[in-house]
Amino acid sequence: MDSPNNVEDTQKLKIEEVLLREGKYVGPTVGTSMLPMLKQRRDTIVVRPKTEKLKPLDVALYRRGNNYVLHRVLYPTESGYVIRGDNCYADEIVPEEDVFGVLTEFFHKDKHVLCTDESYLRYARRIVKNYPRRRFWMRLKQKIKNAVKSVLKFFGWKRKK
Amino acid sequence: MKIKKGFVVRTVGGECVAVPVGEMSKNFHGMINLNGTAEFLWNFYSEEHSLDEGVAALLNEYDVDESLARADVERFMGILLKNGFAE
Repeated sequence: MDSPNNVEDTQKLKIEEVLLREGKYVGPTVGTSMLPMLKQRRDTIVVRPKTEKLKPLDVALYRRGNNYVLHRVLYPTESGYVIRGDNCYADEIVPEEDVFGVLTEFFHKDKHVLCTDESYLRYARRIVKNYPRRRFWMRLKQKIKNAVKSVLKFFGWKRKK
Repeated sequence: MKIKKGFVVRTVGGECVAVPVGEMSKNFHGMINLNGTAEFLWNFYSEEHSLDEGVAALLNEYDVDESLARADVERFMGILLKNGFAE
């Protein structure tokens, strides 16, 4: 029988330190930027240390100030990556040194998905390919919303809550 | 004693890890590595049980003497209680 682990040590480590010590980080996700793939506080991510230059469609874990961000690599550049969340509309340029992990698998609800699965890669390709269409509809929706607001304001009407 | 709601146990690369979900993940963002014994106790204490019941269950499952089993259950539950993972 092996004695139960000590959980105290791991709790206070940063993710970078957990990756170094354990070789993987398994944890919850926060935020909506990777919807519909990852739902916050429900799905579980498995991140491993970055060992080589990431490729397009890889999902990178990096630091932005004091926050951790998990977004998809669109393409690598000489000094880093152009990255965007699946549910985001702006690209980010992230230096190589800020990226320290890569998503290798995740649990969507209770479904275990490996990032090498062909069905997952098809999803990833589709989400990147459909971005211009998503952005078009998002902008159109925003314009319609603004137009409705302007009309309501012009006539002095208020929307029912 | 009982492990609080708000954790899921995932098997990654053959290893068991307990991960917070929902409200629990607001306070704790980490992972809890579970070896074989810890996984057994985690599952056992997902329902309300006393310390003695945990020791008895461990003795039933593993070939180990009672003092070691008791020490392990006490240590396991002590860590979980201290970190607010059990009640």
